Amino acid sequence: MNHSIANRAASTGGHLPLDAGRLGEGVRSPDATGTNHPPPHLSPQGGGCRLQFGCVPVTDTAPLVSLRNLHKHFHLGGNLLGRNRAVLRAVDGVDLDIRRGETLGLVGESGCGKSTLARTLIRLYQPTSGEMLFDGTDIAPLSERTLAPFRSRMQMIFQDPYASLNGRMTVRDLIAEPLEIARIGTPQTRTERVFELLKRVGLNPDHATRFAHEFSGGQRQRIGIARAIALNPDLVICDEPISALDVSIQAQVVNMLEDLQDELGLTYLFITHDLSMVRHISDRIGVMYLGRIVELASNHDLYVRPSHPYTRALLASIPVPDPTVRRESEPMRGEIPSPIDIPSGCRFRTRCPLATELCAAQEPPLRDIGGGHLAACHYAGDTAMQTGQAA
Amino acid sequence: MIGPILSVRDLRTSFFSQRGEVQAVRGVSFDVAPAEMLGIVGESGSGKSITCMSILRLLKANGRIKSGEALFDGRDLFKLDEDEMRDLRGNDIAVIFQDPMTSLNPTLTVGEQVIETILRHRRLTRAQARQRAIELFELVRIPSATARLKSYPHEFSGGMRQRVMIAMALSCDPKLLIADEPTTALDVTIQRQILMLLKELQTRLGMAVILITHDLGVIAEVTDHIVVMYGGMVMEQGNVRDLFARPRHPYTQGLLAAVPDLRDDTHHRLTPIPGSPPDMAHPPEGCPFAPRCPHTMQQCVAAMPPLFDGARCWLQHPEAPRVAGVNELEPA
Repeated sequence: MNHSIANRAASTGGHLPLDAGRLGEGVRSPDATGTNHPPPHLSPQGGGCRLQFGCVPVTDTAPLVSLRNLHKHFHLGGNLLGRNRAVLRAVDGVDLDIRRGETLGLVGESGCGKSTLARTLIRLYQPTSGEMLFDGTDIAPLSERTLAPFRSRMQMIFQDPYASLNGRMTVRDLIAEPLEIARIGTPQTRTERVFELLKRVGLNPDHATRFAHEFSGGQRQRIGIARAIALNPDLVICDEPISALDVSIQAQVVNMLEDLQDELGLTYLFITHDLSMVRHISDRIGVMYLGRIVELASNHDLYVRPSHPYTRALLASIPVPDPTVRRESEPMRGEIPSPIDIPSGCRFRTRCPLATELCAAQEPPLRDIGGGHLAACHYAGDTAMQTGQAA
Repeated sequence: MIGPILSVRDLRTSFFSQRGEVQAVRGVSFDVAPAEMLGIVGESGSGKSITCMSILRLLKANGRIKSGEALFDGRDLFKLDEDEMRDLRGNDIAVIFQDPMTSLNPTLTVGEQVIETILRHRRLTRAQARQRAIELFELVRIPSATARLKSYPHEFSGGMRQRVMIAMALSCDPKLLIADEPTTALDVTIQRQILMLLKELQTRLGMAVILITHDLGVIAEVTDHIVVMYGGMVMEQGNVRDLFARPRHPYTQGLLAAVPDLRDDTHHRLTPIPGSPPDMAHPPEGCPFAPRCPHTMQQCVAAMPPLFDGARCWLQHPEAPRVAGVNELEPA
């Protein structure tokens, strides 16, 4: 089974088995899907895929999602005539690839635009400009109707399992709702599918007739996950999925997300502010600051060789559960500036210990500093500056 | 040897509703030494916040302190009348909460609120109180302190609002500051700023701090002693270094094992604690952690273990079987 829209549509009459064709690698070849993959010239640096270095060779190397110069601006206030309106640049020029089957972590402080990015990607927000290639198709300009087949392939798990589940619906109805919207199956087959999904997320099928408030936070999040995977999506966006859970329950949910990824071949965009958990779960991690990706690297490289001063400051702020570790470094100064009034040049320069005149004048591009490690800093990879910083 | 500034003994607090009695705190005892930072760590429902709200006597209407005492400077807080207690709160004992926005009045400038707090507890003129407010803002490093007094709470970021709350809490030089999840709503970079500020103020002003948190990293970073709570009870307590180096209670061990090691990216599976916390409307008779514990014995279900030198676990009993890693060091 492949993932072209035509085949999806054809299969909607029946019950979708959970793991149909998800484990085979060959099914994702470009020929089989018949969709257009982004030509190399779309890569901002040119010269082919900028992520080719260190890329795992699979049959289909085209990323599942490619964001190109994506912007999402919000217009605020203004006078009666709508003039002088302030513009909040929540997402302000993001280039990002999400590879098939990977977990891409996205971290940053509140207000950095990570949640807006996720909501724009699933078209809860209409992007202001830029391209959003999903499996080769730019979904940014699509109408609601033409977008529908893509909607079922992208699902979201929300932070608050208390707020994101309708308290007046039974668990059965909550999990079957996406199937109903996508017009998959009959009420009977949908109920069977709900039982199967409940088992898959470690809940008892007997729970189907209960309401969400009868469950603990961890169990509710499992219901949210069952709902998200009900349509066999390709991409699951996890927006702070464990932040509201207790430590002992977080590990249960993270282990389950990892199992589901292996079994169903899911691709995750994992948004969090928990810098310990993101290292554990991600293959690659992007760091966002004021609407842009400022660094992107494999989870190992990012923590071992952080190359953007912001990443270094973030990592230095993580509280380590080991009292023998006493860190001498000063806490990062200041707070994130308002996305209404983004500093000129490098947007981090107002808090950066390395900032120079160059940083005020020129915005550093996100560039490859070796091995697919991307950083948007004029001095990334500059050993003299970095050791100066360390000293 | 100076005695503790606060001594809590066998505190029991329950909430009464249509469901019946919810035993939120079931016999908690601990001491806070002057000028030390004590961390109380636990998950939601462990009773850590209720313990502190009981000490402050700020329980909701259906909550009741059933027994126990809280000796503060030699006086039992539970025997004071409302007026005495109100006088003590904000003066000798101050508190800051997780969400500063809900603790501040959105219709008044922060300056008015800080000045009002100072005037309520101190015999000062308005001008003197204003001067004191500016000093406090400078102490907690709010930039352009004088100008910021005129700002409203919504004009501050989360981190700055928490600084305002700390400034208010410090306005009467309290001997004890209770900080209930003060950094949970903040970003890591801001969290670090606030934690460092609290640590610095604690040392500089010689003030005792009780820091309540669910975050083991935060605890390890700034506290001197820890109390680990679960099911309304103290499961383990001790010096922060000893407790992290050699946790003796299976619950503490489970908590530490459940968080990913930041220095390790090998993607090995996390070790969750199976199951979920007990229902405090029907707390188990024995150890509250027994249903989730990997080492449960018959004794654990039958009877509540006492604290054996800081760890409430039957495995610490001298006649208990030896379990590697719990009551016996793991083989090297």
